[in-house]
Amino acid sequence: MTTCAILPAKFLPLAATWLLIVTCLNVCSVSAATADEASAKYESHVKPLLKARCYACHGAWKQKAGLRLDTAKFILQGGDSGEAIVPGNAKASPILDRVATNDVSQRMPPEHEGEPLKADEIKLIRDWIEAGAPAPEAEEPEHSPKDHWSFRPIERPALPQVKNAQWVRNPIDAWIAARHEQQGLAPQKEAPRIVLLRRVYLDLIGLPPTTEEIAAAQADTSPQWYENIVDKLLADPRYGERWGRHWMDVWRYSDWWGLNAQLRNSQKHIWHWRDWIVESLNEDRPYDEMIQMMLAADELAPNDPQELRASGFLARNFFIFNRDQWMDEVVTHVSKGFLGLTMNCAKCHDHKFDPIRQVDYYRMRAFFEPYHVRTDVVPGATVSDDGIPRAFDGKLDTPTYLFIRGDESRPDKSHAIEPGVPEILAFGEIDIQPVELPVQAWRPESRRWVLDNYIAAAEESLKAAKKKQGETAEAELLVAEANLKSIQLRAAAITAEIEGDDAARQQTRQDAIQAQRELAFAKARLELLSAETSLAKVAEKDRKEAEKKLATAKESLKKQSDLLKAEIKPEDKVEPFVGAKWSATRFGSTQRDDPEFAFPSTSTGRRTALARWITDKRNPLTARVAVNHLWNRHFAAPLAPVPFDLGRNSAPTPYPELIDYLATELIDHQWSMKHLHRLIVTSATYRMSSSQAGMEANLAKDPDNQFWWRRRPIRLESQAIRDSILYLAGTLDPTMGGPSVPTKEQANSKRRSLYFFHSNNERNPFLLTFDEAEVTECYRREQSVVPQQALAMTNSDLVLQSAQQIAQRISASAMDDQQFVRQAFVTIVGIDPTKRELAAGLKALQDWNQVAGDSGDKARGHLVWILLNHNDFITVR
Amino acid sequence: MATNMNRHTQSTPPRRSFLTNMGLGFGSLALGVMLNQDGVARADWAPPTGVPHFPPKAKSVIWLFMNGGVSQMETFDPKPMLTKYAGKTIAETPFADTQDPKKLAIERLVAPDGNGRQRNKLYPLQVGYKRHGQSGIEISDWFPHIAGQADRLAVVRSMWTTDSNHGAQAQFHSGRHRNDGSFPTLGAWVHYGLGSLNDNLPQFISIGKREYWNKRDGYYLGPAHDAVPLRIDPNNPLDFSRPGTPISPQSQQIGRQLLEELNDLRGEQYPDDPEMEARIASYELAFRMQSSIPEVVDFAQETAETKSLYGIDKPHSKDFGMQLLASRRLVERGVRFIQIQHGGGGAGAWDSHSGLKKNHGKLALAVDQPIGGLLEDLARRGLLEETLVIFCSEFGRTPGSQGSDGRDHHIFGFTVWMAGGGLKGGVVHGATDEIGFHAVEDRHYVTDVHATILHQLGLDSRQLEIPGRKRLEIDHGKPIREIIA
Repeated sequence: MTTCAILPAKFLPLAATWLLIVTCLNVCSVSAATADEASAKYESHVKPLLKARCYACHGAWKQKAGLRLDTAKFILQGGDSGEAIVPGNAKASPILDRVATNDVSQRMPPEHEGEPLKADEIKLIRDWIEAGAPAPEAEEPEHSPKDHWSFRPIERPALPQVKNAQWVRNPIDAWIAARHEQQGLAPQKEAPRIVLLRRVYLDLIGLPPTTEEIAAAQADTSPQWYENIVDKLLADPRYGERWGRHWMDVWRYSDWWGLNAQLRNSQKHIWHWRDWIVESLNEDRPYDEMIQMMLAADELAPNDPQELRASGFLARNFFIFNRDQWMDEVVTHVSKGFLGLTMNCAKCHDHKFDPIRQVDYYRMRAFFEPYHVRTDVVPGATVSDDGIPRAFDGKLDTPTYLFIRGDESRPDKSHAIEPGVPEILAFGEIDIQPVELPVQAWRPESRRWVLDNYIAAAEESLKAAKKKQGETAEAELLVAEANLKSIQLRAAAITAEIEGDDAARQQTRQDAIQAQRELAFAKARLELLSAETSLAKVAEKDRKEAEKKLATAKESLKKQSDLLKAEIKPEDKVEPFVGAKWSATRFGSTQRDDPEFAFPSTSTGRRTALARWITDKRNPLTARVAVNHLWNRHFAAPLAPVPFDLGRNSAPTPYPELIDYLATELIDHQWSMKHLHRLIVTSATYRMSSSQAGMEANLAKDPDNQFWWRRRPIRLESQAIRDSILYLAGTLDPTMGGPSVPTKEQANSKRRSLYFFHSNNERNPFLLTFDEAEVTECYRREQSVVPQQALAMTNSDLVLQSAQQIAQRISASAMDDQQFVRQAFVTIVGIDPTKRELAAGLKALQDWNQVAGDSGDKARGHLVWILLNHNDFITVR
Repeated sequence: MATNMNRHTQSTPPRRSFLTNMGLGFGSLALGVMLNQDGVARADWAPPTGVPHFPPKAKSVIWLFMNGGVSQMETFDPKPMLTKYAGKTIAETPFADTQDPKKLAIERLVAPDGNGRQRNKLYPLQVGYKRHGQSGIEISDWFPHIAGQADRLAVVRSMWTTDSNHGAQAQFHSGRHRNDGSFPTLGAWVHYGLGSLNDNLPQFISIGKREYWNKRDGYYLGPAHDAVPLRIDPNNPLDFSRPGTPISPQSQQIGRQLLEELNDLRGEQYPDDPEMEARIASYELAFRMQSSIPEVVDFAQETAETKSLYGIDKPHSKDFGMQLLASRRLVERGVRFIQIQHGGGGAGAWDSHSGLKKNHGKLALAVDQPIGGLLEDLARRGLLEETLVIFCSEFGRTPGSQGSDGRDHHIFGFTVWMAGGGLKGGVVHGATDEIGFHAVEDRHYVTDVHATILHQLGLDSRQLEIPGRKRLEIDHGKPIREIIA
């Protein structure tokens, strides 16, 4: 980058003024030209250096030692200990000593706060001081972080007045048009109807329109044709699948992974959370409510399994071995994903750009410190087959300590860190209220369906026992009967313990314990019978062993028989049921699971408090970050350039007012995402053509379309490519939800791609080729162009088989080749073919028909194959 | 704000001209995309141009990674004191201070899985050593063919790392401990930083099985910088490298012509569309790859003498020999980075917690002749000067015994060697203490190996840094000057 590029145009006259002053006062003996150069160099080199390396502690936010370095005037003022520089005399300038010294206790930046300045950087400062420390007169101090656009309160901005008012369809366009006019750009015309149709279908439901839908839209004369389609698509359940996948990127959905069979990360059955996301989007659940549930469903809806699915967001972060890494991922991605803050930068030291202190990182961690993960039993299954992985506060008293320089082996145990938020983002108190949980939440074994599961299983074994034949059949039947009775009475005891009065509790407990004894007795009897039976058949050499077994069985039966008659003592226990299984950690160095613990009856309320703070209308970041994510996924480019960082280290957005407008729309419409989708896709901005044709003037001014004068073409996401191919072939399985499709079944599965098992470990090779989402972090999808994609599209079974099926479907309504080719263009690529495109397609069909074995249907299949490889199939125009 | 916006427009590199200038190599296609996304995000940053930052000494890298942890004591770092004090606890020997807790504090565990513990009882050397070549480098008797190349080796006996679990495999490739997250590997950085030498082949190839913590490369550089996995099978070298259902060459040709024509016609309505241009180019590359890739792993043109040089004629060294012969062929054809994983999957084949002698002996037999053959073959063809070969492993093994006949993971001192690519031959650099416990002379963290390789390729890792992805001093490492010719 050249020096000129960052100099404000008005710089030179100001420098000249400064130069005059310098010369007149004769402060130093440098020539005018040198001072001029030095001043320019201050702006172009010295200031950026100071900004990057010093402002964090000596700028608008903090003035350590009373020193600010963000303008030359401040530098001249010096700090608490006196002057920082002596203009014209580098040797006498303390600042140079401090940056150049080898004494680490004296050196700036301090050790662990930043690398020492390099020799050439020190020289820059020295030369500038030697030149008399010249700077432009009207130098602006660094803005306070409080003035940073995304930290200011959100207010609905006044709409800009624009000349091109007839282009404006809704307020979004007003801001886009305002920038057009400022930059001398004209918007591209609206995309052709067929292009727009394909765009909005793929965008909202992740699948292209069918032949019939295209024909209907093209014939629709209503001025509302487009809006009607948007409403229809937003009400389509496939909308939830499409946008669910987007949010799964942002919220880091991942199926479990580990070494071979050992689960190390995420959780089994985490797909419940995926289904919750899809369903919630389809219901248009408010975004704020979704965040609250994902962070604290266990406190807000502790007894509602449907809602508890949401806390898969936290269950996904489970990491068996290391709590610090686990917590770090939670803090990092709650901050990045919901708040657009890089709090992770403050793990080791104060944030260098944003007003986040190191302690703030640990205050954020403290909200999560108590939580653990467990799997709740669902009706009709054991936790190994199914269950809801979810968060719960398990260790209420675990303290959070600040790690000195982020080093987990150096916790500062002098005091525990309390939950809290960065000062600059605080509005009112963070109100943490412990939550008394309903008993079914902390004693999940008392849930009706858990009891029913046990009873059903016992009934099942009784049924099986009744069918048995053989010498021990009768005894087995008795065991099964005793088992059912014992399960029923245990269930009654558990229920009574929670709901009943003292008498009922007493009675059911007695009954249950007695039934347990009867079961034990029946089992002992079966054992004895088995022992007798085998003794009768045993070979001579094993006789001793069998006799021993018989003796033991006799003894055992005697014991159980005595116990039947014995008094029930206070220490006798009703054997508990399992209503939830803790996801055991291995934080200790024992090679074994850490010790189990009882589920606490209270939850700290910390995560609820955090969720309420994040979703408070006064939080300046949440809504802005949300609308930026939404915009990014509609346009494959965000308004604020880094979706996970709206802080001061990101390049400024040219559209802060538009973001604020969208944020207020979101908040004022009960955080409805569908409202935002509708607003965005019905804007003129969204409806523009992506062509550059006829826009030479724009291209000269803004070649990279930074100011949205045309639509950006988007390379379809991996899942949308695969789903669309199957959908066109008529083979896409519309089943929604359920367990993830295992890797080995994926080649033959026709389910939508979001249902494929997808983890750090296991990824589908076809999807991977097209920039599949990273489960570790995916705030934006890459859109790479690599030859492996071409290989997958030309050679994969998916494409080749689907091509034949698509051809057959089109042939069903298109009899002659001309009709076939036209319809194939329309349906597959969303192109009304030109004469030449038609001719090219027909020519190729003829050529294929000449190839032995490739005529007729096969030739048509080949044409479809090529259209699937057309740039505009994989592209949203 | 106005000023900032100006800055945006002026400094965003012109993507269009960039794509055309780069000749549309593999890397550049991926780069074009990076540029598109991040050029918008950061005003004062430009992505690499694909041209080295300074004149390179090497063009390609062959990265031989032995999964599981190779014992330094039984390979390239002889420690007779182990035999002398065999059976004694370290505390009973003159080397008791090696277990000073302060010296052990560099360790960072991911999983307390019972491995990577202190093993106190010294375990004798399981193999003999001889001096080799003019340099007289001592190499264990399990590696006669590598020993035959002694004067070409630069042995670094003073490596250290911090993760004593096998996640150290990822650490060796990326330079970062697993607890810090996932970071691009060295191959991904090279792929990101350097332009293509052959537009018909992927520039970053991986051969061999990788465990989950070490499965990917690009991470924040993007999946386009992941290595392309290659199989040594001319019939199926890459995923999707040939049609799942056969299509006649004639019909393929008709299709290709049609596709070209249709994309051209679409270009009339969407002129100068850089994404479309890149996609068309990617199809041309893919077409050439379909013939160039199977050719690389087809050894029909190789002489019997060459194959035997790599041990392909012996059952125990056949598989690895074929991988290394393929590597030479890839280097010959201008592939930048070939990452070979030996014994990958699970903890890794070299992980000799027990039966070390048998295990290492068998694995050495599998890799020795192929590696010796590779160095010899590269040298004969004049390729060794521009090809840097590295032999490495995630960590070493303990001087003490685990159980009766194994060694545990050991991070405090271990050995790698490099050859070719403008490095010195026949040198030993750095040293461990007398029992091979700590690297004590010229200590090198794993990123010093990265820095050395990047230096030879003419790259400065600091100039490759991505805005918003601050790298630490230790991530960059320092080139090992002493072994650079």
